[in-house]
Amino acid sequence: MQKFQTIREGIGKRYNSLVNNTKKFTKAINEPLKQTFRVNSIKGDKEEIIDQIRNYDSNLKKISWYDDAFETNLTNLGSSIQHFSGQIYIQELTSMVPPLIVSDLIKEKTVLDCCAAPGSKTTQMAEIMNNEGHIIANDARHGRIKSLRGNLDRLGITNTTVTLRDFNSFPNTEADVYFVDAPCSSEGTIRKKNVVARKWKLHDYERFSKLQKNLLKKACEMAPKGSTIIYSTCTFAPEENENVISQILDEENVFLKKININGLKLGNGITNWKENDYNKDVKKCARIWPHHNDTDAFFLARIEKC
Amino acid sequence: MLKIIEENKKNEIIKYCFERFGLKQENLESYHWYEGSKNRIFIGPRKVNRINPESIGLCIFRLDKTPKPTTNFIQLFGKSIKKNYIILTKTETLKICKGEDLRNKIEIEPGFIALKYNDMSLGCAHWNGKVIKNQIPKSKFCNINFL
Repeated sequence: MQKFQTIREGIGKRYNSLVNNTKKFTKAINEPLKQTFRVNSIKGDKEEIIDQIRNYDSNLKKISWYDDAFETNLTNLGSSIQHFSGQIYIQELTSMVPPLIVSDLIKEKTVLDCCAAPGSKTTQMAEIMNNEGHIIANDARHGRIKSLRGNLDRLGITNTTVTLRDFNSFPNTEADVYFVDAPCSSEGTIRKKNVVARKWKLHDYERFSKLQKNLLKKACEMAPKGSTIIYSTCTFAPEENENVISQILDEENVFLKKININGLKLGNGITNWKENDYNKDVKKCARIWPHHNDTDAFFLARIEKC
Repeated sequence: MLKIIEENKKNEIIKYCFERFGLKQENLESYHWYEGSKNRIFIGPRKVNRINPESIGLCIFRLDKTPKPTTNFIQLFGKSIKKNYIILTKTETLKICKGEDLRNKIEIEPGFIALKYNDMSLGCAHWNGKVIKNQIPKSKFCNINFL
């Protein structure tokens, strides 16, 4: 336990200079998160599903910035009949944000989800698309495809094609929206996962940064003019966030669009870190800090192809 | 490897869905249909050129000697199923989710049936005239704590 605390302190110290309130930030990353879930309206009427769940938890809290999301005091909704039948999906709130950014764009369109497993965002997009249009959900690891497939089945998703491929060698595929939810050091999930604490290594930043840049570059290269690319990670590390976006802005024919979600407090991207200056436009990226909305941490960039 | 289903097989399944469950053709005709390994039938989006998929859409049937609906199928189209379903009690639902069979006497012609709890479609079972054999995949079995 002491070891985990120390690593949390390490994360706190590393990013204190980036936050507006260090006390609140440190407090937030040391507090556990409540379980959150979203309703899958493909499998039933939202109001009816929520009424049934209120029988188990009368204090169910609706999330102000997303109508389908709820917070519960229960820790094991995974053993509810609603979970069994695919009417709900247990998901961190921050992970629900990327599909919301483009919710007006994706209906009846083609979406390529480059790193899709285990399928939280894929299934959410499918629900937003009302199971129409087309999602190509790719992942590079066979073991993770199994969990993706399981979630698609449970939630009754019919508009998705699953592919197993290293995205760097993925055939050029035209889509309207590309999602690059890149593998990362996952520091932002420290409130939930002690495994992050165990694995926290400083030299990971460089390794992940290289991987992320390659994935995003590939998506930018295959994206047609006018399409949108959403880049996201669940880490605080600027090396894996603004640094990656800054390089892409310098090298590819793309621009950033500001992100806004009503009711969700978003921080700006940072323009310098440890003596590195980034492209000034990375300010348009969004950072979700744990102490702002009582969530995990998250990073988002909305990239438009010229 | 998924291939586009032969029209006669597709029609056989649509006919079965109507005769067995009262499911109308329009519920199923907007999908693209595919046949995979082990006689598995999928419905989903159109196939994209140059991509070799692991799967497309949802596996809804297996075509062995007779068509066998999957639990995915029953859960997704449950609201449109008009006949050959049974409504389970709380105790029966808990048993079914755990993977057990039921020994109820029901007035239904033997064959595949849909299992429901209230308005919720839980999955597929096979009624042989004596036992309701659970057909929900083992990977979905669990102890339900909230019902």
